[in-house]
Amino acid sequence: MSRYLIGRIGQALLVLWGAYSITYFILYLLPGDTLSIMLSASGMEADALSVEDLAKARAYYGLDKGLFEQYVDLLLGALRGDFGQSLSLNRPVAELLAERLPQTLSLAGLAIVLSLLGGIGLAYLTAYIRWQPLKTALARLPSLGFSVPVFWMGLLLIQVFAFGLGWFPATGSRGLESLVLPAVTLAIPSAAVYAQVLQRSFQGVWKESYITTAYAKGLSRGQVQARHGFKNAALPILTLIGLQVGNTVSGAVLVETIFARSGIGRLAQEAVLRQDIPVVLAIVSVSAAAFVLVNLLVDLLYPWFDPRISHIPKVS
Amino acid sequence: MNTANLMSRLLAPCALALSLAACSPGNDTQAGKTLNIAFFGDNTTLVSVDPFQVYWLEHRVLLRNVAESLTDQDPQTGQIIPWLAKRWEVSDDALTYTFHLREDVTFSNGERFDAKAVKTAFDSDKALATELPATFGATYLAGFDHAEVVDDFTVKLVLSKPNAGFLQATSTTNLAILAPASYALSVKERSLGKIIGTGPFVLASYTPEVGAHLTKRKGYAWASANMKNQGEAHLDAVDISYIPEESVRNGLFLQGKADILWPRNPFSEVDLKLFQSKGATIQSRSLPGPALNLYPNTRGERVLADRHVRQALQKALDRKSYASTVYNAEFPVVDGIFDVTTPYFKSQGAKLAYDPAGAEQLLEQAGWTKGADGYRQKNGKRLSLSYNITPAETAGDVLIQDQLRKVGIELKLSVVTRAEWVANNSAGNYDLTINYMTRADPIILQTILDPRSANSSTLATNTYEPAVLEQAKGLFDAGITATQAPQRAAAYGSLQDLLIDESSAFPVYERVWQAATSPKVKNFRWTAEGFALLGDIEIGTP
Repeated sequence: MSRYLIGRIGQALLVLWGAYSITYFILYLLPGDTLSIMLSASGMEADALSVEDLAKARAYYGLDKGLFEQYVDLLLGALRGDFGQSLSLNRPVAELLAERLPQTLSLAGLAIVLSLLGGIGLAYLTAYIRWQPLKTALARLPSLGFSVPVFWMGLLLIQVFAFGLGWFPATGSRGLESLVLPAVTLAIPSAAVYAQVLQRSFQGVWKESYITTAYAKGLSRGQVQARHGFKNAALPILTLIGLQVGNTVSGAVLVETIFARSGIGRLAQEAVLRQDIPVVLAIVSVSAAAFVLVNLLVDLLYPWFDPRISHIPKVS
Repeated sequence: MNTANLMSRLLAPCALALSLAACSPGNDTQAGKTLNIAFFGDNTTLVSVDPFQVYWLEHRVLLRNVAESLTDQDPQTGQIIPWLAKRWEVSDDALTYTFHLREDVTFSNGERFDAKAVKTAFDSDKALATELPATFGATYLAGFDHAEVVDDFTVKLVLSKPNAGFLQATSTTNLAILAPASYALSVKERSLGKIIGTGPFVLASYTPEVGAHLTKRKGYAWASANMKNQGEAHLDAVDISYIPEESVRNGLFLQGKADILWPRNPFSEVDLKLFQSKGATIQSRSLPGPALNLYPNTRGERVLADRHVRQALQKALDRKSYASTVYNAEFPVVDGIFDVTTPYFKSQGAKLAYDPAGAEQLLEQAGWTKGADGYRQKNGKRLSLSYNITPAETAGDVLIQDQLRKVGIELKLSVVTRAEWVANNSAGNYDLTINYMTRADPIILQTILDPRSANSSTLATNTYEPAVLEQAKGLFDAGITATQAPQRAAAYGSLQDLLIDESSAFPVYERVWQAATSPKVKNFRWTAEGFALLGDIEIGTP
């Protein structure tokens, strides 16, 4: 087991390093140059400065090093937990992350919980209901939920629940109240995926022989679904949770803009636009770490949920 | 993101209609006298509310009510009037400005406003301008050498070279006087909201991209003549929020959750009608400084190196239909290089008439003949202009494209990221480009069109043919060294004529700033530079 774990952690580190490096080089390859963006932001274009002033400015922002030298500097810093200084915001990246991360974590956390509740609840209900028209209608819902664009759903929810009914605030990041609408918006696509997959697994599970056995033991339909059906059908969901965590981070970009929340998503978008490399790299590292961690946990949980799966090599 | 923006823009009218249908009239349960202002986004490239560095209009609105200046500017006449300085004298060589200060003014931290505080402010500003020459306020301080404390309430500001715009500069937020305690802090701390001024409001907090909170300054009693209310503000507090998403921002206003809706771009006709039907008042003011002009690249092998082609382009723009279709029937039609609120504005209306036939004639003369596809060609090359746009094209851009197509000019709209836009601009990789700055003095044109002081010397050089450049430089010099108003009027008048006659700038629309105020907001008034005097505003029952 520990050997498996070490292997997995090694893999995770490799993924992190890969994400970090690819992001760095992509940002470097983007047209436009960081220095001129930053000068332009303070109201001066690079072409208005003399060569010496430009060199001074380049050195001031630490942009005077070569492609690889800068990369190694940043990477070594990141390994020590120092993400450097945001070029345009003039603040340590760690401080920015500490400020913005809780906003996004609470949003993503609630969204994941809501999507699990919604997705599993819907699929469970669909499997339990036997009246065909309603069953079909419920089975169609996930595709609808997944097809509706996130930003549109956000606007719709604001119109109805904030402007129409006045139940929740439309914008801001104060308190749990303001978290509800954005979290629901973000949860819907993931919930739709969970529901769709779980519905399919239920369909397959009902045909299994152990279900027939359960019925033969005299259990009711509800008991059979809860004890034998769900446990077996739910396994693929576990894999999906790991993948959906990544989607939640990218969804946060849109949701945070619509609901005027200041989180990691918006920070990422703006940092990319102004080629603030240290900020983008830090956000990529944090979200890649979260992604890798969740997936590792999911893999470790498998044997616990399903004893047929084992990470220990079988003795032959 | 771009598609998302576009889609949400398309959906905005539906969303608004829905909100109207869904909501009952707003009920005013808001406690106290807090004014809620909804701006569009915050500046995410330069995060700063330090007056000296700020060019972002929304921040200047905030700062105008927190920090005050030696002088003020009459929004009607453009005259400089007393504020923190009771009166002043300018030496004959226009190099020494002696300000006699009010004696009853204090900063919100209790420090006394006096000659020493003014010296500290100007010294600190100069130090920052030396350290960071690219900072916006540096242009306001051009030529400033040092400050001398004459006595407790008299201060002398000495210039090393003439700067005819200096007196106006002392009236701006950029040269606002902060408390000495503010200057003792680092630039970074000031940027993030540690701003102590003498204004009718105190900046209680500023959270980048989220908002700001202003509270009333107790005991305020030194407003300039521009303020009707000479005492403490009527409001207890002002809440500013930055809402990037247009339909959400509009919805908040329609719901009564924002009292002033203040986006950067003027309202579309649909929105305007909707707000007016809800009893809102639309406040408008042309922002002083250049109009929204397109600037050509006349260098090298570029198409616009040919004066005939540039003149044809000038004639091919239908500014009247631009104003009425992109905005609304009442929207002013641009009338010159500057917006009408700029001192020394000179109308160029007669030379900016829509004349497609004249344009076609000029293009024929220049050897560009119409091909089968409707576009003009010469030596097998299409008459095509490249225009970089960031972050997204607007209805106005497409309208211009269509207007030019009618006379056979192809306008290529290339939507690029901010980074690419900046790179293309400084490399001269464009045929047409834009730039604007807001300041109620014609000197602001130097920041855009004088290669020696422009923020992009590439743009400022490329806009003139080589021979014209020297002429323009001469006029800029005449404008900045003029000591008397008639001399300035002559210099800037000739400069405006030159820019139009040489087609070195193509005015497109008047930069009108609009805010929608709810029926309960009374006494919304503009300053000379297009900001609002929040101390005058009262919240009543509609």
